[in-house]
Amino acid sequence: MFYFPRLIIDFFGNIFRYREYLKQSVARDLRRRYKRSVLGYVWSMLNPLLMMTVLAVVFSNIMQRTAEDYAVFLFCGMLPFSYFASTSMGCLGTIRSNAKIIDQVAVPKYIFPLSLGMSGLVDFALSFVPLLGVMLATGRHIDVTVLAIPLVILPLFFVTMGVALIVAVSNVFFEDTQHLVEVVFKALYFLCPILYSRDLLPLWLQKWVVLNPLFCLIEFMRDLVYHARLPDLEVYLINLGGSFLVLLIGLWVFKQADKKFVYFL
Amino acid sequence: MVAIAKQQEMVEAASISDAGLNAAEETSAEELAVKVDNITISFRSYKERPTTLKESFLRFLKTGKVKYYDTFNALTDVSFEVKRGEVFGIIGSNGAGKSTLLRTIAGVLPPKKGELTVNGKVDSLIQLGAGFDGELNAIENIYLNGSLHKLSRSFIKSRVPEILKFAELEDFATTPIKYYSSGMSARLGFAVAVDREPDILIVDEVLAVGDERFKKKCDKVFQRLLDQKKTIIIVSHSLSQMQEMADKILLLSKGRVVFLGDPKEAIEKYRDDSYQTALS
Repeated sequence: MFYFPRLIIDFFGNIFRYREYLKQSVARDLRRRYKRSVLGYVWSMLNPLLMMTVLAVVFSNIMQRTAEDYAVFLFCGMLPFSYFASTSMGCLGTIRSNAKIIDQVAVPKYIFPLSLGMSGLVDFALSFVPLLGVMLATGRHIDVTVLAIPLVILPLFFVTMGVALIVAVSNVFFEDTQHLVEVVFKALYFLCPILYSRDLLPLWLQKWVVLNPLFCLIEFMRDLVYHARLPDLEVYLINLGGSFLVLLIGLWVFKQADKKFVYFL
Repeated sequence: MVAIAKQQEMVEAASISDAGLNAAEETSAEELAVKVDNITISFRSYKERPTTLKESFLRFLKTGKVKYYDTFNALTDVSFEVKRGEVFGIIGSNGAGKSTLLRTIAGVLPPKKGELTVNGKVDSLIQLGAGFDGELNAIENIYLNGSLHKLSRSFIKSRVPEILKFAELEDFATTPIKYYSSGMSARLGFAVAVDREPDILIVDEVLAVGDERFKKKCDKVFQRLLDQKKTIIIVSHSLSQMQEMADKILLLSKGRVVFLGDPKEAIEKYRDDSYQTALS
């Protein structure tokens, strides 16, 4: 009966207990990524920026009726999704690559994906810089609602960790799950309102997209930054609950597989 | 009740050898460092393990089977106790389950059956370079390893010079440890583990790579730990070293306990056994 509450309490307890490891690991990650200081940062921003430019140029004509300042519209949707996708993909090999540690020290193994999820958040925060740049360039009004972005980060982190844990588990047992995950994420990319907005969907479908936590998260982000309005509280709370559920499922799957890892590494 | 009965047995087994000890005296809970109760560990042995999803799926289509392995027991119903302040040796031929047993006590391998009780902080030196990241240098690895043991940054920082000095690696502190020789990694691993002053130190064959001078240093550290009533569990193929160090030896064969008690007797028995299996 107390199984699931225990999982959650342990999870947050371990974040606290292993805070020193997480801190170090995040710092190491960032250092590795941004090693050539300024250039490192520029490169990592250039990729989404170029991608966005291409998409914006291609789609702004087709989707003209969707939204004005399509680049900003697009960017808002892409940021949360690319955090989700790149973190989950990054977590794919984390258990394997930390096999040497797992073999020697008895640690809760999800701290490895967890540290990636955290360093990803720093990237996520940094990628707001080009977004603001684009907004200034297009003369889009920046509203105080952007201050509420941290409220969206919380459920985003939950969803991402939940999925990342499952993805990490899958890769321990099978080496080729990467291809499968890539396909699923590609599909998910189009199932999320990144290129389009919800009101472009047929009416019957609009009701159901709420089931996809990522869908709402992207909309929240867009609400805050693009539309300069706060998301509906009720929808937000439902989404928070749903995201938490995804994390719980991830933790449960991870726990089930946890004991078998040693035999597969 | 079963547990108590078992404990009695153990004490009796010990009393045969340790003539000096009082056989009737029961080991109290505080005196116990490790208690292994009827532990069984099983591994899967694959003839050809399908490592990819594609492979598993194709094989399933071909044969209709999902399971591709046999299980075998690396350890079967192993029970023993280690008292505090004891040097506990484990010997046995290759594949007897020594390392498996050590990894179980270290908490890395969850037992399939049975119960493991460990009183106190455990630190283990099981594999060379395990618990370290080859890309990082010695100092970074000390931080990494310390943080995995939940130590605070400031504490680790205060220990770094001491650890480097003990490992004699001051000159190579900023070299990534993948370039280290096996002796150097062993020294670093030992220095890091010992510095945490674990209640129970688990040492596998790793020390064999160190030179005489370092071994002497290790012996000194062992003595210091023992003086503090810490426990050392050690695996080695060097029988003379074992006889010298160990208070008690566990002889394993094919995952089962063959003998537990006096080092000299254990070693004789081990020699006998291996001699006979070699002949047959």
